[in-house]
Amino acid sequence: MVMKKRFSISQFIMAIMMIILTLTMIIPIMNIAAKSFSSPESSRSMSGLRIIPKDFDLFNYKIVFSHPILVPAIINSVIITVVGTFINILLTTTAAYVLTRPKLTLKRPLMVFFIIMMLFDPGTVPEYLVVQKIGLMGSKWAVILATAVNVYYLIIMMRYFEAVPQSIVEASVIDGCGNMRSLTSIYLPLAKSGVATITMFYAVVRWNEYFRATIYLTRKSTDSVLQVILRQFVVLGDTVSILGQQALFDYNAIARADYAALKGATIMVAIIPILILYPFVLKFYAKDALAGGIKE
Amino acid sequence: MKKNEVERPVNRSLWNRLKNEKLLYLMLLPTLIYFIIFRCWPIINMRLAFFQFKAKGDWPFVGFKYFKMIFSSPGFEQIMKNTLVISFLKYILLFPFFIIFAIILSEIRSNGFRKYVQVVSYLPHFLSWVVIAGIWINALSLEGGLNQVLSIFGMKSIDFMTDKSKIRWILMICEGWRSLGWDSIIFYTTIIAIDQSLYEAARIDGAGKLQIIRYIVLPALITPAVTMFILNLGFFLNAGFDQVFNFSNAAVQSRIDILDTYIYRIGIEGGQYSLATAVSLIKGVVGMLLVLGTHIISKKLTGKGVW
Repeated sequence: MVMKKRFSISQFIMAIMMIILTLTMIIPIMNIAAKSFSSPESSRSMSGLRIIPKDFDLFNYKIVFSHPILVPAIINSVIITVVGTFINILLTTTAAYVLTRPKLTLKRPLMVFFIIMMLFDPGTVPEYLVVQKIGLMGSKWAVILATAVNVYYLIIMMRYFEAVPQSIVEASVIDGCGNMRSLTSIYLPLAKSGVATITMFYAVVRWNEYFRATIYLTRKSTDSVLQVILRQFVVLGDTVSILGQQALFDYNAIARADYAALKGATIMVAIIPILILYPFVLKFYAKDALAGGIKE
Repeated sequence: MKKNEVERPVNRSLWNRLKNEKLLYLMLLPTLIYFIIFRCWPIINMRLAFFQFKAKGDWPFVGFKYFKMIFSSPGFEQIMKNTLVISFLKYILLFPFFIIFAIILSEIRSNGFRKYVQVVSYLPHFLSWVVIAGIWINALSLEGGLNQVLSIFGMKSIDFMTDKSKIRWILMICEGWRSLGWDSIIFYTTIIAIDQSLYEAARIDGAGKLQIIRYIVLPALITPAVTMFILNLGFFLNAGFDQVFNFSNAAVQSRIDILDTYIYRIGIEGGQYSLATAVSLIKGVVGMLLVLGTHIISKKLTGKGVW
């Protein structure tokens, strides 16, 4: 084979394009991080392109983690993410197990039902009325239960279960292994990477959930979740409800605060759990794409 | 599968088979209950489009009253137009870029650099729209990074997020920023799964890089492209609610007010449940018809559909 040229114009142009593209992702996020970790005096005049903190200071994070609305919101987000993901996994794995039994009589009608449920979205108000009717308005359970199963992830889970070698399953049936045992001691361990994949996906969706929390958790300001408060603060620019809690704060701290940097710190609190999960998402789900290997 | 069914004893009636599988259905029960309460019940509630909402007692039937109200309301035409324009930008104009990105990615020779591009470009997909809006508002503000880059080239600062003439383009570019990496995985994995011997053969025949892309890579991408495109059409009346909801502000609202933000405003904020449900119903039905229609047309023309 002919040796490839070590340098070519097309490779160079593509590299430049990709570098610019990735910088549009790296710089804005790093800039927010840099502002949030700087002292308010320095962050106020900080360039929008700077990615290193100036006068490192945890001032903004001290406000976030002692804030009377943000702290309960962070706790609520964690509760909804943990309990919600647990319920997601419980339902999705059992449903995927049942739907992958080869001889299941009602398999086809059930799959058709689930796919229709996936394609047709009844809309916000009809669901809102159901939540009202069953008395879950204002409860975390409304947010947790309203997205208990995602059909798309259910289908991904089914693919992983289908890949479990039938010979092992048959051997266990001969040994008298029932459905429950078969799921917990054969399918779940053998489809570990599948379970890990959908756990990541569900956890990310749970953590990022804001819309249902916006409409269902409206009773008290301490009922809400981080994304909703973040939206109020950063998107709607409602600094009053965030910093208006002056009685609870040290007056000097409020006067010192740089709103942009404080917003940055709140955004970072919402991003960091995602950054922690991200390597695992890549490890389990995108590994084929990353390895440049074979599809499916 | 078929063979098994034939071998099954004849006396095992449907009922007996279900009885034997009862533990399996019991395991499926929680999931079914979830779908019945949170999916089927709302679908039944959609009848509200034809009824007047009452918190207590029966809902009186009003026929097409709310549909007439929607189509005769003065703002609706603009909302419909916004929805279609934004969807056009996001789902049609942006579409080729996913394929271009996947091709460039597969052409990069350095494994390390390719991995770096992938790791960075997949990340925005996992950030919430609230966070993305926060990042963009910061980067596009008057003191933000973008304006600083513009000032290097001697251009004046622009307040992008409140600029009526730019906001739709911002929505489109931001959509690309978020999903270019992740949504092009399907194209990328298709490209790397192409049989290497095809490339070799083409090279021996003297094909250049562009010819290889034109005659080998692009044809292989038709199937995933058609599937993605049809599924996108199903979202055409959604226009990406989460993004618009978080990028909206008073200055630009008239340009990016879409069906779903309208539903939220009249339904959840305004309490006009029937009217909001009527809009949802139109949206749901048109979305289904679009998917079915394009599926059938595509099947006729190219022999490829979604299923």
